[in-house]
Amino acid sequence: MTTGWMLALAAACGVAAIAAGPRSPRAWLGLNLGGTAAVLAAAVAVLGGASWEWRGGIAIGGEPLHLRLDALSAMFLALVAVVAGAATVYAAEYWPDRLYPDSAPRNRAWWSTLLLSLGWVLVSSNGLHFLIGWELFTVSAYFLITLDRARPEVRRAGWLFLVASHAGTACLFAFFATLAARTGSWDLGPMRDRAELAPLFWLVLAGFGVKAGIFPLHVWLPSAHANAPSHVSAMMSGVAVKMGIYGLLRFSGWLPVPAAAGWVVLGVGAISALLGIAFALAQDDLKRLLAYCTVENVGIILTGLGAALLAAAQGDAPWGRLALAGALFHIWNHAAFKSLLFFSAGSVLHATGTREMSRLGGLWRVMPWTTALFGLAALAVAGLPPLNGFVSEWLVYLGLFSAVAERGPAAWATLPAAIMLASAGALALATFVKAASVVFLGAPRSTAAVHAHECGPGMRGPMVLLAVICLGLGLVPALFWPALGRAAGVWHPAWVQAAAPAPLATLGVVQLVLAVGAAAATAWLWFQARGNGVRRGPTWDCGYVAPAARMQYTSGSFGGIVGGWFGWLLQPERRLRRPRGPWPQEASRVERIPETVLERVFVPAGSRVLQTAAVMRRLQHGRLQFYVLYVVIGLAALAALAVTGGRP
Amino acid sequence: MILLLDVIGRLALWLVLAPLLPGIINKAKAWVAGRRGPPVLQLYYDLARLWRKGVVLSTLASPGFVAGPAVAWVAVTGAAMLLPLGPAGTVFGFRGDVLLLIYLLALARFATTWAAMETGSAFEGMGAAREVSYAVLAEATLIAAVLSLSVQTGSISLGTMLEPTVGPGAVLLAGGLFIVLLAENCRVPFDDPNTHLELTMIHEVMVLDHSGPPLAVILHGAALKLLLFAVLLTQAALPMGDLGPVAAAGALAAGVLGVTIGVGMVESLMARFAFRRVPLLLTIAFLLCVFALLVAWREGTP
Repeated sequence: MTTGWMLALAAACGVAAIAAGPRSPRAWLGLNLGGTAAVLAAAVAVLGGASWEWRGGIAIGGEPLHLRLDALSAMFLALVAVVAGAATVYAAEYWPDRLYPDSAPRNRAWWSTLLLSLGWVLVSSNGLHFLIGWELFTVSAYFLITLDRARPEVRRAGWLFLVASHAGTACLFAFFATLAARTGSWDLGPMRDRAELAPLFWLVLAGFGVKAGIFPLHVWLPSAHANAPSHVSAMMSGVAVKMGIYGLLRFSGWLPVPAAAGWVVLGVGAISALLGIAFALAQDDLKRLLAYCTVENVGIILTGLGAALLAAAQGDAPWGRLALAGALFHIWNHAAFKSLLFFSAGSVLHATGTREMSRLGGLWRVMPWTTALFGLAALAVAGLPPLNGFVSEWLVYLGLFSAVAERGPAAWATLPAAIMLASAGALALATFVKAASVVFLGAPRSTAAVHAHECGPGMRGPMVLLAVICLGLGLVPALFWPALGRAAGVWHPAWVQAAAPAPLATLGVVQLVLAVGAAAATAWLWFQARGNGVRRGPTWDCGYVAPAARMQYTSGSFGGIVGGWFGWLLQPERRLRRPRGPWPQEASRVERIPETVLERVFVPAGSRVLQTAAVMRRLQHGRLQFYVLYVVIGLAALAALAVTGGRP
Repeated sequence: MILLLDVIGRLALWLVLAPLLPGIINKAKAWVAGRRGPPVLQLYYDLARLWRKGVVLSTLASPGFVAGPAVAWVAVTGAAMLLPLGPAGTVFGFRGDVLLLIYLLALARFATTWAAMETGSAFEGMGAAREVSYAVLAEATLIAAVLSLSVQTGSISLGTMLEPTVGPGAVLLAGGLFIVLLAENCRVPFDDPNTHLELTMIHEVMVLDHSGPPLAVILHGAALKLLLFAVLLTQAALPMGDLGPVAAAGALAAGVLGVTIGVGMVESLMARFAFRRVPLLLTIAFLLCVFALLVAWREGTP
């Protein structure tokens, strides 16, 4: 019962925050933090084993209220609570009334609406109510993305998000409506024995896939994440995208799935992982890079889910549990490190006013906290030990490898997926070495980078909190296992896993030893160097005497080699003006990586539709005699049909 | 207590023997060229000298410049400790430790390239960009090799998966892994550890600005990584399952020596490839490992 009261308290806090937020930032901060704390308490209680269900007498839209919080939704609710709490504190300093007198009150109102709608989506167990919450979530996210709506690119990004989201929602409408028609009720719950519902899974995959940002439905994601204010980007990337994953997990667990589901999800996941990170490596915009990296991580999560679906379809093979646990764990891990990365990017943007990496550099001196935290998150997102990203990727790999070692039919899918995941991992490393080093290391490339400043405690606090979470998830993964095991049990009742698999415990110890060893070795090396004497001098650079900041490797040059390999996909646009004549005046070289899928596929397809529509519109010209003719032709056709009885 | 002694013994073995390999390679190269060459123990002298020297730090470098080599060294050492040593097996093998090994090597790469980028030099940027880019192909090859071993043995832990059978699969795998060894350790034909033309280098160009103890740690880590790959290659391709403990240890040592001399021979007889051909060679290595995988799959099918 306490879970219910906690959720009620959180909902009350949320409503009060929407009402009071626009006027009082302080009350908004307090109410939001109180609400997220209550939600976290409820989620932790449910993850501890006490699942909660409530049917109220109240009807909304003619449907009785049915709320439910089980371990799977509680996992996501905990995620919402932690990231939202951190982002609320961050936003209070990042988007204050002082700097944004116009949009800051709007931010507070829509922010609380977003949190409320996310919570609503996670607890509602009725198709109609789910859709209401989903729509509210989309609309509030739209208004948050377009907070800075004076800029045209922000409006474009928001519009694209709205259109793409509604294309996804249309699929969900079809899904829920068909489900309600087939079952006779909007009420949701486990229906695993009704095999005729299996084909609905494709609607689920398309509808939630748009929100999750799977390749090639990710087109809205890069511009929305890049142009939104950073606290919104963190929330979008860490949490909102996960709602798509939640939908996929929820309905692939509750409903039967078609036989091909596992193969398709695994394939989509592996392709998203590889191509998402290839796009990320080519970006020069820091936040766009992070956004594409989200596509990669969603791909990793879906690879795990796909392997789990395959295993479930092939006689409950034990490796499916490992892959599913990896996917579930990666949901948390990605939320922690990606929010931290977006917060760091926001801190850089706040300090320098630019997201272009080629104009940054050398920020570590003025922004040591941001540099260290970004470095930590970069290690985590590249999936390197001893941090959390490695643990979940390792679990997914373990599932894939075990399937290969068993040499069942699933190996045909898991084998290429493992190789693609490995390549994606190496590309992620390249991407984040590039991002971290071009932005924070070396010499500043512009005056904006020289005059940067560290962010204040209000932004630093949430970042440190997330870094601690990353460390905790990485160093003691076994601690979080019971929650993951319960969530897996909700997805597939036979897969409840109370005890962590033995290798995970060993891995935790190894990670800890590794972290301590790395710290000790660094300290030892530093003391040895200092004891021998340290002299500072300019970079040796093979004796070059006049190095300039512009000679440093930029993001474009760093990603050039791999960019060439993926040229077929990236299709970079290059404009080169060569120096001409005996006294060349100016020369330039501009390179742009287009949004290939959007600009080469969706936009041409859309304009084709519009062209067709324009042709069709010629039929409607306002001349009455022609309309009469249409009616006559139509009647004649109907008459012919009636006479022949439909036979030619 | 025995476990602790075992760990310390292995650690000492790895750390002490590693610098021998570059010395052997140089001796082999000198022998082919008809020179006398530097002493086999040259790297030990160099390391001792560097460890006592002072450090010149670039004014642009952050503390990460010193932390990078230390973290990379710890990562490579950790990876080496995971490997079984012939008859002695592993200290603490667990399911999936082979993935930890691959990702520890990746961590070392992250730390090295991070430290290289600290200096703000275009040369080091070049080296770092090449290192991380070619590693994409090398890592895919390594994973394919590991997959072929696990198809062969049905295991995914290092302690039990390094038991190859005699046959074409082992040859293919050895070929693929040898190319990866050359690429990951920046040897000819991928990189020339002797050249001073920085534009053509990968590893050496990344450490241009390092000096004193950090450079010593980098050099030792590089030697350790070479030994690690040689041990991995030997155990992945040389069937030693039926030998007694002493014979197996001897076979392992001979195999490592053979691989090392092989590296020296390649370096004496081949020139460095043009950079645009590097991905081609790595793709060949990948294909070799994929074929090894297919052979293993076919052999195991009843």
